[in-house]
Amino acid sequence: MFTELNSILNTSPDSYTRGEFILVSDRQSDASFLIHHFLSFYLRARCKVCFLGLAQSFCHYSAVSQRLGVSLTQAKEKGQLVFFEGLKECLSVLTPKENNVESEAMNFLRDPPVGLRSLYEFVRSSVIGSDNMEEGAEQWGPSVLLVDDLSVLLSLGVDVGAVLDFSHYCRALVCSQVQGNMVMLVRCNGEEDDDDDDDDDGDIGSDVLLKGLTHQCNLNLHVQGLPTGYCKDIHGQMEVCWKRRQGDAPHMQKNLFQYKVYDKGASFFARGTSSAVL
Amino acid sequence: MLSELLQGIESGGFLIIRGKLIHILCFDVSEEELKDGLKPSDTQRLHIHNAYSDPLGWTGHPNFTVQQFSLEDLTNLVKQTSQPKPAVLVIDSLSWILRHKTPPAVCQTLQQLRKGGAVRAVIGLLHTDMHQRGTVGSVCHLATSLISVAPGVKGKEAVARVTKRSKSGKVMQDEEIFCIAEDFTVTILSKPSHAEHKTNSTEEEQTDPTANLTFNLRLSDSELEAKQKLTLPFVFSKEKKTALLHPGPGSGRILYEPDANDDYDQEDPDDDLDV
Repeated sequence: MFTELNSILNTSPDSYTRGEFILVSDRQSDASFLIHHFLSFYLRARCKVCFLGLAQSFCHYSAVSQRLGVSLTQAKEKGQLVFFEGLKECLSVLTPKENNVESEAMNFLRDPPVGLRSLYEFVRSSVIGSDNMEEGAEQWGPSVLLVDDLSVLLSLGVDVGAVLDFSHYCRALVCSQVQGNMVMLVRCNGEEDDDDDDDDDGDIGSDVLLKGLTHQCNLNLHVQGLPTGYCKDIHGQMEVCWKRRQGDAPHMQKNLFQYKVYDKGASFFARGTSSAVL
Repeated sequence: MLSELLQGIESGGFLIIRGKLIHILCFDVSEEELKDGLKPSDTQRLHIHNAYSDPLGWTGHPNFTVQQFSLEDLTNLVKQTSQPKPAVLVIDSLSWILRHKTPPAVCQTLQQLRKGGAVRAVIGLLHTDMHQRGTVGSVCHLATSLISVAPGVKGKEAVARVTKRSKSGKVMQDEEIFCIAEDFTVTILSKPSHAEHKTNSTEEEQTDPTANLTFNLRLSDSELEAKQKLTLPFVFSKEKKTALLHPGPGSGRILYEPDANDDYDQEDPDDDLDV
């Protein structure tokens, strides 16, 4: 959990707005450090977290979370965290063994046009299923869905429309019905405003996906490299874009920050106020 | 023109709501989000059809699916309120429907709705960056009035380009800057034509490089005249051409009488061959 980011977003594990869809996006950069932040944030806020880890293994997330002061194995044992390990489930679909009970969630690998309905059913069962708890189990806060990351689904052959439908349904379930929060990571490779028709479909697909998700989200954290090039002390810039804030006037608010990622956290500062400069 | 348009329709899902019966078909936002910020007196006149929670029928008991976006189903939906007057249908958003149905089918349904009597006006929201230009063009071509919204120069303002096609065939276009207050009233601010003048003047105000130097790089008027009169030595102007081709009197003449030494024959250097 990055304390500076909490003050930028005006949240804390004790008080945060519910029913929000936070979109983390990056362009030719790596915004996965923000996913680790949100994972540790919501675990500390005692929410029930459903994490679709499609990009990395459980050990990776566990190791990073350890540095941020949260133990994923403990959370999993207590029932606070439902971890969907995409890498393992893929293997079980592609190389089925006799004893393995095949999970239905990744059946789009066999047949991409089917779409992500089974993945949504998995999310639904882990979010709604928490209502039927045994006696003596701990009471957790509102459900939170974290997805890392959606662009992996595009590269596995799923259609952009299917991914947008999946995020729409997750939003209807998690944000509107259960009044929980949702954080999704989308990655783009191409340059912005590239109208070149020679782009391969992958770049266009991820751009369309990003545009569609930007319309759906409440808060967009867009991570990019510095426009002036590589810098040792500043790892990139992050644009915070608020939309659809309930209770406020219906207009967008944008803020630009620069960040540096450390071993056990990240620091955010206004442009030009990096410690290397001042 | 924007205000005339808004008052003429007397409605607006996210703008002013006044008067008649309004049906809202919600795909993109939930009912609560739509009602957020609206006064209860206004929300009473709204009939919100929830197509947000299950538009594809995944949960098994959908309220309204995207497949039901056809003339018969929409007419039944609108007639459910059993009011004699035709209603206004607001669709949020057409982009959602265009992702699942082909553009020709959507255009056909919209046109049929217009021709049919159940609906007085249809207001649709389209996210143009989500679709190809052809799709956007086809849907926009159907519309009698088109409001394109773009972000303005300042934070809270937005620029609206309004195109209105009247029944006589006349097309009117206008561009206005507006902003939306917290109670959803639209205030039309000035027109953006002066913004273009601003960009022109900034170009003219570029810094003059010959100013603030310790030496003088500028020319006085007489020096400028002399400079313009000067002919450059290797520029082949018309006067020079004629002077060279037709040498006038007084210019240097060359008289040549062939000398024996000049008559050098390569094949007969000693000039003793009898050929």
